[in-house]
Amino acid sequence: MKALLTATIVLLLAGCGGPSGDGKPIKSSPELIARGKYLARAADCAACHTAPGGAAMAGGAALESPFGSLYGSNITPDHDTGIGKWSADDFYKAMHDGTSPGGRQLYPAMPYTSYRSMPREDVDAVFAYLMSLPPVKQASQPADLHFPYNMRFGVRFWKMLFLKDELPAASEGASPEWQRGRYLSNALGHCGECHTPRGSMGQMSLGEQLKGAPLGRWMAPDITPAGLASRDWTTDAIAQFMKTGIAPQGSAFGEMHMVVALSGQYLNDQDLHALALYTLGDRPPAPQPARQDATADERLAMGRQHYLNACAGCHGRDGEGRPHVAIAMAGNSTLRQPDSHNLVTSDGSSSRSKTDVGIMEQALQGCRGSWR
Amino acid sequence: MKTKPLTVKINGKTVGPQEVPDGLMMLDFLHEYAALTGSRLGCGIGVCRACVVIIDKPDGTSEEMRTCITGAHFFAGKAIRTVEGHAQRNEKGEIIALSPVQQKFLEHYSFQCGYCTPGFVNGATVLIERLKREPVAKSQVEAVITESLNTHLCRCTGYVRYYEAVKDVILGTPGLTKEG
Repeated sequence: MKALLTATIVLLLAGCGGPSGDGKPIKSSPELIARGKYLARAADCAACHTAPGGAAMAGGAALESPFGSLYGSNITPDHDTGIGKWSADDFYKAMHDGTSPGGRQLYPAMPYTSYRSMPREDVDAVFAYLMSLPPVKQASQPADLHFPYNMRFGVRFWKMLFLKDELPAASEGASPEWQRGRYLSNALGHCGECHTPRGSMGQMSLGEQLKGAPLGRWMAPDITPAGLASRDWTTDAIAQFMKTGIAPQGSAFGEMHMVVALSGQYLNDQDLHALALYTLGDRPPAPQPARQDATADERLAMGRQHYLNACAGCHGRDGEGRPHVAIAMAGNSTLRQPDSHNLVTSDGSSSRSKTDVGIMEQALQGCRGSWR
Repeated sequence: MKTKPLTVKINGKTVGPQEVPDGLMMLDFLHEYAALTGSRLGCGIGVCRACVVIIDKPDGTSEEMRTCITGAHFFAGKAIRTVEGHAQRNEKGEIIALSPVQQKFLEHYSFQCGYCTPGFVNGATVLIERLKREPVAKSQVEAVITESLNTHLCRCTGYVRYYEAVKDVILGTPGLTKEG
């Protein structure tokens, strides 16, 4: 009896989400395509595979990394330059194993490290959607990586070390909504690919999941439950932020603006709530509102004068902001990050400065002016 | 409102020291404290550039600065030029000649209502001064005008006439361009 039960469980598990591998083409339908479109948005494929102003999914957006530049490939159904000759199995192998037809290793800039836990039926739906797009003839731009990262076969060994079947949970929970949120965050939204620090081989340091990481000019902030709560985030505020790009705690800017514009705004309310709930956990830590520091520090007085001189014109004398123009600084999450990396930045030039209880300290070299 | 003493050099003359509120925007300072009403309040959020003045830096270079969103105290100890400071004047303070940029704007009838003009005069002047230090190839003149003045908004005359005027100044002033 026990053996029979075990065999049944094994069979059931084998039937769950594994690659079918029978090579049969999937049967497309308007419903499947619509579901695939929703999933493709939740997975933010367009961020890398659609160039700004370019044809949908025809590739071309550049991704700068410490190892060199990579470019989103053409994933329209064009036979010569896109994935028009791929089967559903081929597509699943790319999404699940990071391998494209012919055994070509995909660089992990393609986040198969996260997509790996997508079940086969979801991957098939995305495939059906991509196959429904107009084919675009546009050759994919080859990666421009430094030695030795330009040797693709090395990716095989990288995957042996770092490709995991499922990413660890980023918060505590067990509810069905939390489970859905985990899927939306860990697999589809691939939040960790930007917010989790990376090791020397470019792998996500899973012991420090979502603790924040540098991202070009920006710093992807700490979005662990503790990190978010320390900056006053709540489940409802995160859901609102992901949907609209704006919440009382701040606005989506830089890369995150793109995430909201291409992905978050299209999520339905249940998924938005599930994502937010998972981010903080079934029992969210208590949010910590910003407090005004009453200490009469000379540096604060200087910082306040710099704020009045260079920032208050738009952000308001007391940081109240202006609707539809400038985000409020009072209570703003960005001011409460450990450094001011995201607060004062400029095009290209380095402009690091410190923040102090919501008011910039004196170094405003990043502002245009005679301070440079 | 808390005040602080402020001294600014405006159009070659030292203004102040005088007590000025710590959060007053420079445009209000120019209008209400320095009696210079030529700089315009357009959008009030740093977008239209009607309020732009010139900062003259100690190294001899000049830069545009928006005064509707920049506090007066930012300019403490600095030297600026406003639209009132471009023309040549006689001892009585009467205007005897416009600056080349102003003159060409008039000849080309570059602006209609004139609201954006102070910002354009200052922006174009900063451009001309930059080209004196770093001449551009003749083939690049139009691109340089776009890059420098594209942020300034004008809602009546369109952008063609000021463009022609600035191009006229650049090509007609020796030393601003090089072959190529």
